[in-house]
Amino acid sequence: MPLSTSVVTPARFAQGLSYAEFLAQSPINHDKFEHYYQHPVLTEADIAFFRKASALPHGPRKLLVIAEAWCGDVYREVPTAVRIAEAAGLELRIFLRDQNPDIMDEFLSNEGKSRAIPIFAFYTGDMQYITHFTERSATAHVELSAAIADAKTQLGLPQSAGFDTLAGPQRQALLSILVPRLQPLTDNWRREAVMEIRRSLSTALHCSNTGDADRA
Amino acid sequence: MDVPVVYTIRGCHACVKLLEKWDADGIQYEERRADLSQSVLDEARRHGSLVPIVVWPDGRVEQGFGDTLGCFI
Repeated sequence: MPLSTSVVTPARFAQGLSYAEFLAQSPINHDKFEHYYQHPVLTEADIAFFRKASALPHGPRKLLVIAEAWCGDVYREVPTAVRIAEAAGLELRIFLRDQNPDIMDEFLSNEGKSRAIPIFAFYTGDMQYITHFTERSATAHVELSAAIADAKTQLGLPQSAGFDTLAGPQRQALLSILVPRLQPLTDNWRREAVMEIRRSLSTALHCSNTGDADRA
Repeated sequence: MDVPVVYTIRGCHACVKLLEKWDADGIQYEERRADLSQSVLDEARRHGSLVPIVVWPDGRVEQGFGDTLGCFI
């Protein structure tokens, strides 16, 4: 994602919302954002890693977030991005997905078909793209799929049954089993998101995935 | 209440698809936007966890629409 073809220029980045401005413009979910901010999942080792990464000459200085306050993945994960930015001294700017389709188009998932959020995109001080995180961790996707499969088994439904092919009562029965199973998993999903972000940054920056200084 | 109440978030693809289908089919409904009001969102959460949430006149509740789960609220 070279700067010459990206709409995320330094001037555009500066137009993003601060976290406080993002919360102020949203009519909903202030309690959710506050809850997850007050219950951070970053460890001391995470903080040491993000500080080390941001101190690298080519390390992250800016963190672009794409979000909408109504989204469950957003209110669960964005407070973690805020904690990372605070710990590592990154400038954080939030862009509303539905008001910034050109920025969102640079981070489509699911083979370009999905506008999944949140997006956490890390940039250098001069706006060179480093890496980004999308929506939820790979572990969360796997556990969600497994929970859906288990619910289908419990209901005697074929694993091939798509959500749209189930009769109304079957779909509601599946959800009534599925949803309560997901909530206990979400704290681990938040931890896995942090680990995934660390791995991604470590790979992109060619540094160890620890808080220790790398040997030259 | 003689028409279904549907709780929506306009950024949710499943919600938009449901409303498009109902509009095309001429189905009358009352839309309540959960993305615009905490009180409406709280009301929606009392019925379910995934939008769109439809509350039919007979009290039945349906969550989600189409080939995706919908959006967790």
